[in-house]
Amino acid sequence: MAGKKGSKSGLREALAGLVGPDAVSDSREELEVYAGAGEMPALVVRPSEAAQVAELVRLANREKLNLVPVSSGPPHIHGGSWPLKGSVIVDLSGMRRILRTDRRNKVALIEPGVTFGQLQEAVEPLGLRVLKPLMPRANKSVIASALEREPITIPKYHWDMNDPLLCTEVVFGSGEVFRTGSAAGPGTLEQQWAEGHAQKNPLGPAQSDLVRVVQGAQGTMGVVTWATVKLEVKPQARRIYFLRESDLGKLIDFSYRVLRPKQTDEHLILNRWALACMLSEGAEEAARLAEKQAPYTLIYTLSGYEYFPQERVAYLEEDVGRAAQVSGVVPEREIPGVPLQRVWEMLDRPCSGRYWKERVRGGWREIFFITTLDRVPRMMEVMGEVLKRHAWPREEVGVYIQPMQLGRNCHLEYGLFFDPEDADAAAKAEGLCREAAADLADAGAFFSRPYGGWAEVAYSRCPDTVKALRMVKDMLDPGGVMNRGKLCFQEVG
Amino acid sequence: MSVEEARREFVELLGEENVSWEPAVLDCYAWQPTFNDDPDRWVKRPVAVVLPSSTEEVQEVVRICNRHGLRFKSFSTGWGAWNGPTFDNVVQVDLRRMDRIVEIDAKNMYAVIEPYVNGAQLQAEAMKVGLNTHIIGAGPNCSPLASATSGWGVGHDSIYMSYSARNLLGVEWVLPDGEVLRLGTLGSSGEWFNGDGPGPSLRGIMRGSCGALSGLGIFTRCALKLYNWPGPPEMEIDGIMLDAKMEVPENIGYYMCFFPDRKAFSDAMYKLGEAEIAYNALATSFGGYFDILTPRLFRKIEHADSIRSMIVNTFKYTLAILFAANSARELAYQEKVLHAIVREHGGFAMDVTRIKDFFSMLFMSFVRATIPALVFRMGGSFSTALDRNDALDSQAAWREVVREIKEGYIRKGQILDDLADNPYFVPYENNTWCHCEVVYQYDPRDPKHREALEPIFLDVTIAAIERCMEPLFTSDPRVRRLISPLAGNFSKYQQAISRGLDPKQAADNTLYSAEADFDFSGIDPQRVRRLQEVVEQRRW
Repeated sequence: MAGKKGSKSGLREALAGLVGPDAVSDSREELEVYAGAGEMPALVVRPSEAAQVAELVRLANREKLNLVPVSSGPPHIHGGSWPLKGSVIVDLSGMRRILRTDRRNKVALIEPGVTFGQLQEAVEPLGLRVLKPLMPRANKSVIASALEREPITIPKYHWDMNDPLLCTEVVFGSGEVFRTGSAAGPGTLEQQWAEGHAQKNPLGPAQSDLVRVVQGAQGTMGVVTWATVKLEVKPQARRIYFLRESDLGKLIDFSYRVLRPKQTDEHLILNRWALACMLSEGAEEAARLAEKQAPYTLIYTLSGYEYFPQERVAYLEEDVGRAAQVSGVVPEREIPGVPLQRVWEMLDRPCSGRYWKERVRGGWREIFFITTLDRVPRMMEVMGEVLKRHAWPREEVGVYIQPMQLGRNCHLEYGLFFDPEDADAAAKAEGLCREAAADLADAGAFFSRPYGGWAEVAYSRCPDTVKALRMVKDMLDPGGVMNRGKLCFQEVG
Repeated sequence: MSVEEARREFVELLGEENVSWEPAVLDCYAWQPTFNDDPDRWVKRPVAVVLPSSTEEVQEVVRICNRHGLRFKSFSTGWGAWNGPTFDNVVQVDLRRMDRIVEIDAKNMYAVIEPYVNGAQLQAEAMKVGLNTHIIGAGPNCSPLASATSGWGVGHDSIYMSYSARNLLGVEWVLPDGEVLRLGTLGSSGEWFNGDGPGPSLRGIMRGSCGALSGLGIFTRCALKLYNWPGPPEMEIDGIMLDAKMEVPENIGYYMCFFPDRKAFSDAMYKLGEAEIAYNALATSFGGYFDILTPRLFRKIEHADSIRSMIVNTFKYTLAILFAANSARELAYQEKVLHAIVREHGGFAMDVTRIKDFFSMLFMSFVRATIPALVFRMGGSFSTALDRNDALDSQAAWREVVREIKEGYIRKGQILDDLADNPYFVPYENNTWCHCEVVYQYDPRDPKHREALEPIFLDVTIAAIERCMEPLFTSDPRVRRLISPLAGNFSKYQQAISRGLDPKQAADNTLYSAEADFDFSGIDPQRVRRLQEVVEQRRW
């Protein structure tokens, strides 16, 4: 950078020196993809290996840059990676290597650009399945999803909030490279494999668990360059069931009964609009399909594994059926207007083509948080009041309830869909979501993933947490080079 | 530093009956025999003992320590020498008055507890509402709060109920400056149902594989995940421990399985994990059972090679597995799968429920983890070769490594003869990953045994590094200094966390952030060289 220090061309040159000239761009067209509702970044840089990432972060410290890590392809939805003006986007989506799969230990070691579809294709022939969120977009990064703590659809495999993430290599904002969990060392990965290890223990090293402060951090603490993710056995027998109900309370009661003994595999609740939207190609089809659905549908599956799979499904069917009876609900084997195959795809595959939320009307706003199943009815009341105030048709709000941590709490998500050309509708949705976030938080909603404006809602309620998080941020990113302005780190950098 | 002034303030705060600096009382706290090879090295006499009864009182105690330049060290149920002070100016904060189960949320499957609630109490209350709590291998006398926030956390039930650190939800944490930090939902809405966020999870600085052992403050309440318990709400038992008598509860299955070799054992364990059938699973050697149940007999046969050989070779790969089924149908299925897997791997399964007296003796010790307390019977004390847990294959190999190390010491009479192969081998979360530590027993009154402890410790540390394992006693400042450079310099981050949360260094944090050199004087130079070699070989 001699002679050009501080200039954009000098910076570009320096970055090109690290990753090669073809991996750096300042094309406006390319940069707009990353801007989202944020500001225009200065450059995008596309490293192809972990060592380059560490060099980038060290350069950022020397040059006081703001790095914004991005692993998934567009659109960038939640705002965690929407940059401040002049930022350098570190696009990891080209780091797409599956470095190792291990059938015996049910684990994959992957780079950040690996998508759900890609991983699924690699592990299914081994008889394994990927733990994934409901209908992720086709270019969604597995690691990004896990770092964002997106809920997976099988609560019995969600033992703790960091599942299915296991071990990571992370370049902290300081430029130091660290490995978490049992990957931490002693030994290189190759040496560890030779001794029978598989980077499966997410804890540590030693007496801290720094992966947990990288998770949920929206790239403000560092950049993950590889991770191991937990996989599970692909069932050899599997049946799907639907509970179609107008009384959400009955579905919640049923959920408590069967989640506690870990009887169901996939287990989630959708209202008729959410279900219809997920299974349709557009708003008209969704409207037609929604008419045929019950107000709420609980979808669950029962599985059998290697040994006597049909017998496992059969006894579970009886036991779960009994729980349904006690809760006053009736399991059905299909839902009206939809071939079963399509529902299986919804559960098993990432979105093909356009993201399902985009397909409905083009634009959408969503609001999601953590609560418990028994608090869901209260949250529905609060949201109902907000919708009423904003005259938003209640029947066109998608509701998705995903039990987590074996049913101890749940992800509750509302989706509002609109025509992005309709400025009034977009503004209305924006205002509604802002107001709803505040009201719901007052009622106890926990914004565990506080994107954009939710950060203010979430952090205004926990000043002690903010103080401790800033201490952690100072420790791991003392130069403030990682994704400035996010979470509670507005003034950092 | 004004100890006198601080004592006066403690009395004002807590009342005379809850503060003491009587030498006899202080020495009761200073005498911590478990995992204490050398009382001088581990435990110092505290300058006072205080018994707060609330979070507010704990905060005030910590503030008094800060004001007067004292350190504090908390003590919940106190199992192990790491509960005692490591400096000369430490106030021992005994939390025994904080003994309430604050809440059991049966629907959302968690309990909110204080530090002095023990595993047995919580389990008894949880079972009344069809739930169960994870109990660590050290036994039900231990505080679940302490193991979840501050210690380790493996138990016989880990296949179904995970590891203590992973069972945390909301946490109330008195920081070393006296402020309270509430994690997760507790900090935002006062609810306990989630421990992570908003955004980054502060559980990440609270603890790792091991906790900070009071080096980062005092935990006053936490919410712990509970798990399904389909067994009876109350156990009908006569007698205690090995004399217990009881009927087999409905839908409970209990088997001892025996496998011909390590490969068969490991392969079967992988299959059992994938089948998701077990409620508790503990692999040990049959010798391990004999050693615990009949220690006197064992000492009598230690030179009887034929008996030794028979026990070692015939019953080496033993798995105890418990089913707690939700229906008779489920139990039948689980038993069928078990038999199929055992048969496929050349083993045999013994139905313990059919041997009523044996079942009675072992069932509660399995469900409530009471049996490990018996490990003290053979010689009076024990230690353990504890490494970082990972894939089951790595743990199975560790078992053999430590057995070999132990055999050398047994032959020389430097530790007790427990047949060498004495693992505590437990899979977590349907064998997502696995734990194996190998116990060795000794008589602390025997100078020969005491002298061997440091060499064994070094041998095990060398072996762990060779096999790419972090010795889990990285709470030891010497191990921390040795291992940290091989694992991302983690010690540097722990020290930064300590400085950030504890500006006056009021917590007794030796076991969290201090570093020290090994004293190799008197250690075989060859052993020291080997250590240096493996350290060089295992950098990344």
